[in-house]
Amino acid sequence: MNLRDKPGLRDRLASEYVLGTLKGRARRRFEGYLHGDAALRRLVVEWQERLLPMGELAGSRQPHKRVWRGIARRLDLDQVRSGGGSRIIDSLGFWRALGGLSTLAALLLVAVLAAGVLQPRQPDYLATLADDKAQPVLLLSGDSRSGEFNVRFVGGMSIAADKSLQLWAVPKQGSPRSLGILPGADAATLALGDAALGPDVAMLAVSLEPRGGSPKPDGPSGPILYKGNWVRVL
Amino acid sequence: MTDSLSPDPAQLRAWLLGAARRDPAAFRLLYDATSARLYGYALRILGKPELAEEALQDGYVAIWDHAASYEDALAAPLTWMSAIVRHKAVDLLRRSGHTHEVDAGGFEREVLEAARDPGASPPDALQISREAQKLAWCLAALEGMQRQVLGLAFFHDLSHSEVAQQLGLPLGTVKTWIRRSLERLKTCLAKGEMP
Repeated sequence: MNLRDKPGLRDRLASEYVLGTLKGRARRRFEGYLHGDAALRRLVVEWQERLLPMGELAGSRQPHKRVWRGIARRLDLDQVRSGGGSRIIDSLGFWRALGGLSTLAALLLVAVLAAGVLQPRQPDYLATLADDKAQPVLLLSGDSRSGEFNVRFVGGMSIAADKSLQLWAVPKQGSPRSLGILPGADAATLALGDAALGPDVAMLAVSLEPRGGSPKPDGPSGPILYKGNWVRVL
Repeated sequence: MTDSLSPDPAQLRAWLLGAARRDPAAFRLLYDATSARLYGYALRILGKPELAEEALQDGYVAIWDHAASYEDALAAPLTWMSAIVRHKAVDLLRRSGHTHEVDAGGFEREVLEAARDPGASPPDALQISREAQKLAWCLAALEGMQRQVLGLAFFHDLSHSEVAQQLGLPLGTVKTWIRRSLERLKTCLAKGEMP
């Protein structure tokens, strides 16, 4: 279905997405459209501005002090140093079945893509890599014409000095192919080669490796920290 | 009381950007300015304080984690934060399998209360934003049942068919009402005036 030619339907789907009545497969399909359609993301933001204030009608209630204490504990706020992420990635050691974008990831994409972060070069490949709690960590956008792709950490990240983060293209069958080591910066541009563009590549993943990358030729040696679908935007 | 006035969006934005730079002091100020509002919201969705507290915690942890992705988002800071807390609350509602008793009367009261003569509110009246006041007024202008289907869907995260079941109405009627109510709200909100 081509949603672009149906302004009434677009607005209605955006409104029901925000209201919450768009559910299940229809919701996931809509979130898929959000990826490649900046005008649709704008409609969603407009409906959020219209409907979310409904939450205020319930009135304000001061939460108990333990709520903040819990937040500070979970985020290690006492130990945060300013000027960079300080939570060390720990070994999560998970490899779950292929998963789609989580709803929160889609929600954040609305904000990020609406801001034009990934817009100027009209990327034709997109991925949101999420951790084992389905929290988006890395945004990747590739432009096959220029042969480049951008990598951006959503929340800033730092890892131990003797470790590297390695990016992999995971084909539907066979061994993962290395796309390179992620630089230590919050955002970077890497070369987009054939290893990433193959039609068999369904997913991207990031593994925690010894400094310099996996010693194994045919795949990661360390735990997979993040993964997400690699979507061709048409 | 830290949350007595509608927080200034520019101030909230500055605190959010502070949080994005991992500044705990800015994040604390952001929490103080918004937590009562978002807690009220979570409580409305979940009904139970212990669940609402959990959703609020999850929400602020996600806000901190993703503050950098907010940057120049189109949405106002409070809208963005509300969307995250709502997501966490609804997620918890689903996972807990806890069905909080549908309180249609509560929503009705809140809307009518908030819609009443906004200009003349005494300082200690409902502390809600201008946007929420206007939304309440436009909701109040809908017919009772059409307002109720929206409130049910929004606060209880119900599908069309669940709303239909709750109200004992045919599915087609509920779909039509929701569609029409949303259209009317949009038109009403676009007029930019309150009586």
